[in-house]
Amino acid sequence: MKTSGRALAAKVSSIKDSGAFAIRSRNLPTWCPGCGYFGIHQGLNNAIQRLGLPHHETVIVSGIGCAGRYPFFADTYGLHAVHGRALPVATGVKLANPGLTVFAVGGDGDGLGIGGGHLPHIARRDIDVNYLLFDNSIYGLTKGQPSPSSPTGFKTKASPTGTTDAPLDATLMALSYGASFVARLFAGDPEGIAAALMEGIHHKGFSFFHLYTTCVTFDKNFKTWDHLKEWIHPLPEGYDPTNLKQAMNQALEDHFSMGILYKRKKE
Amino acid sequence: MAKVDLTIEICGMSGDGTIAAGALLNNALSRAGFSLMAFDSYPAEIRGFGRCVTRCRVGDEEMLALTSETHVLISLDDEQSFSRIPFLAKNAIVFFDNRPSSYIEEGKSIAARVEPDVILLGIPFKDLAAEATGTTRGRNITALGALAGVFDLPVEPFHKVIRNKFEPKGENVLLVNMKSFDAGLRYAREELDYSPGIPFPVPEKGDEETERVLLSGNVAIARGALDAGLGLYFGYPITPATPIMEYLAKALPENGGRLFQMEDEISSIGAVLGSFYGGRRAMTATSGPGLALMTELIGLGVMAEIPAVIIDAQRGGPSTGLPTKTEQSDLQAAVFGGPGDSARIVIAPTNVIECYQYTVKSFQIAEKYQTPVIVLTDFFLDNRVENVVMRHATAEQIADGNIYPDPALKGKYHRFEVSESGISPRSIPGMEGFLFATTGLEHSEKGIPDYTPNNHMEMSGKRHRKISGALADLPAPEEFAWDEALDVGVIAWGSTFGSALEAVRKAQSKGMRAGALKITSIFPYHVDAIRGFMERCTDILIPELNYEGQLANLIGHLFRKDVVRLNRVTGEPFPVSIILEKIEFLVKS
Repeated sequence: MKTSGRALAAKVSSIKDSGAFAIRSRNLPTWCPGCGYFGIHQGLNNAIQRLGLPHHETVIVSGIGCAGRYPFFADTYGLHAVHGRALPVATGVKLANPGLTVFAVGGDGDGLGIGGGHLPHIARRDIDVNYLLFDNSIYGLTKGQPSPSSPTGFKTKASPTGTTDAPLDATLMALSYGASFVARLFAGDPEGIAAALMEGIHHKGFSFFHLYTTCVTFDKNFKTWDHLKEWIHPLPEGYDPTNLKQAMNQALEDHFSMGILYKRKKE
Repeated sequence: MAKVDLTIEICGMSGDGTIAAGALLNNALSRAGFSLMAFDSYPAEIRGFGRCVTRCRVGDEEMLALTSETHVLISLDDEQSFSRIPFLAKNAIVFFDNRPSSYIEEGKSIAARVEPDVILLGIPFKDLAAEATGTTRGRNITALGALAGVFDLPVEPFHKVIRNKFEPKGENVLLVNMKSFDAGLRYAREELDYSPGIPFPVPEKGDEETERVLLSGNVAIARGALDAGLGLYFGYPITPATPIMEYLAKALPENGGRLFQMEDEISSIGAVLGSFYGGRRAMTATSGPGLALMTELIGLGVMAEIPAVIIDAQRGGPSTGLPTKTEQSDLQAAVFGGPGDSARIVIAPTNVIECYQYTVKSFQIAEKYQTPVIVLTDFFLDNRVENVVMRHATAEQIADGNIYPDPALKGKYHRFEVSESGISPRSIPGMEGFLFATTGLEHSEKGIPDYTPNNHMEMSGKRHRKISGALADLPAPEEFAWDEALDVGVIAWGSTFGSALEAVRKAQSKGMRAGALKITSIFPYHVDAIRGFMERCTDILIPELNYEGQLANLIGHLFRKDVVRLNRVTGEPFPVSIILEKIEFLVKS
């Protein structure tokens, strides 16, 4: 049975008013059914709720792309900026009012392509912004072109014979740029995301969350749910996240170990 | 009529201390009570071995422009000074070193090159400095001493500025420079039997209120921003805007703010928008190439209705252009630059004190109208120094311009509510019950993406009404005319206005019916006032330092016939004489 718009709105309102939505807004996400972003949304929602962050002291700044729409789906202050520029805008917001908890969100095209020049600088400035990079290795909102993290040979309508460029690894980049907190997480594990986010939000400094996720509509071959579930695994037992060299080794040798790779020790 | 109106130039090779001597001279003359405008030119390359010229017009009335004629030339290097000979006025005085350290062929001394009417004052700068201090290093200061001696200028202001500059460098450095100055002074007084025919009386000291401060346009902008309560500065080095950042790098932290040199101009404007969104005043300063990079985020400021303050210190363009030369060719980029209907506010000061005043004003305007404000200056205005009567901004002028939502609307707040003025109250993160998301997408009153036809019509109208409405808070055109009907009306903006006004005053004194109109609100502009002025003129002349006539393109349609364009892109300030010639031509024809 098809639910009428009005009935759906009433239902959303009643759930919302019960408090179960936490930061979820009355505007329902426009992401495709089955999209990995729902898992990230749940993770962020749970982290903010568990930490008891006041919504009016939380700001989500985004770039452009499917992830860029995030501010509309969250019941916080939001700033949907332009393509690739979430990090500088978030820098301004955080410095303007350090009492705010500031998130920057965006996809791999936004953060590694057009906006790739900002990641090193927010990292070296160590601005206390939590950056969630939704990495599904494809441009979804423009309907399926290769991204800077697509594997070599990746076939799309814009790369019919396969790409020839090598992929970027955002985790390795963040580590080498000097990010003081780096986590690699899986969209299919909202609890893992929530736990890492809670730690990252507490971390005073730039926190980078590399989120492996899917595009169920335009990528049927690479970062599919089945593949990701098969590839990913936790960090090795006894892993010490305060050792930068070890973190870089881990990131270099194993692209699918999930968890907090690096957390700079307080001086 | 002015009793004093002299242009003094110092010319030398890099390393001669030309620019340093010029700065001391400006300071001393300002302290002595003169009014002045000064401008330096030096090689663009860092290690460029080249000519340095510092030019100072000094008088007892307000200085509007530089002149093209030099009355006094101090040559610290004769070979370099040859280039200045064509600019010498009749009976100009040339100070030169008549005992240079190395052998110079007779033909290479400036004495052999100048016209016979020039008065040559040979003074052994190097030897005098060496005799007094054991080093020739202070020879540029010796030359200043000679100048002060010849013109019988008060010595105390010179001693004071030498003390201020060199005392921090140690007793020895101070002593060397003081003695170097006194050596030149004594020589001019005791050994040079010459009394100049040029009048140079010190103006009578006014009261304390007219105490003058020596400021460049760039420093005036930086001070304006500080007085307006600047919290954060984000910038990227670019000529000619960099001195603003360098001034603030020291002064802003001392005033409770922070300064960040960002990775590019895109991140600079991005962070400025973020800061205003977060409730704190921020600013960036750039030049043409940087403004081009900021275009997209300026559009975000327009669409998402976020304030921003951007200084665009214009230089020659397009592209990298002429980084160290002056031009007024960013007007169209500032007003129209960007896709979509992205009306924003553009203001352009015409002199140093307006650089201060309009920078102060831009913060309040940006907040009230929730939109980026671009302050257009130019290389000449940025780098020239004037000694201005400083009046600090009042509490009212620096007051918060934000319009916050009515607390009664808590929980029912619509960020982009359509109103008659186009202004909708803006909440700031931290305010409970006033959450909203803003976006560069077209959006509904609630801030949710909405591409329906009527919504885009309505929201575009709202944003444009807001900009038109800002006229009420923007400086109106200022008229300088004493006749109702005018043969020629000169309309000018930016640093060219000073040249235009001086040309108009000269034309008026010759009995011509000429008038000037100063336009500082570039966009939106005061249609009625401009048209009212135009209607009283037979001809409208618009001199500009750009090739196309960008102000003429913007406002020319308000005149019943074609406006007369007078365009120059020589990289130099607009010469008064060329505007005056054109006025005379138009009056006669």
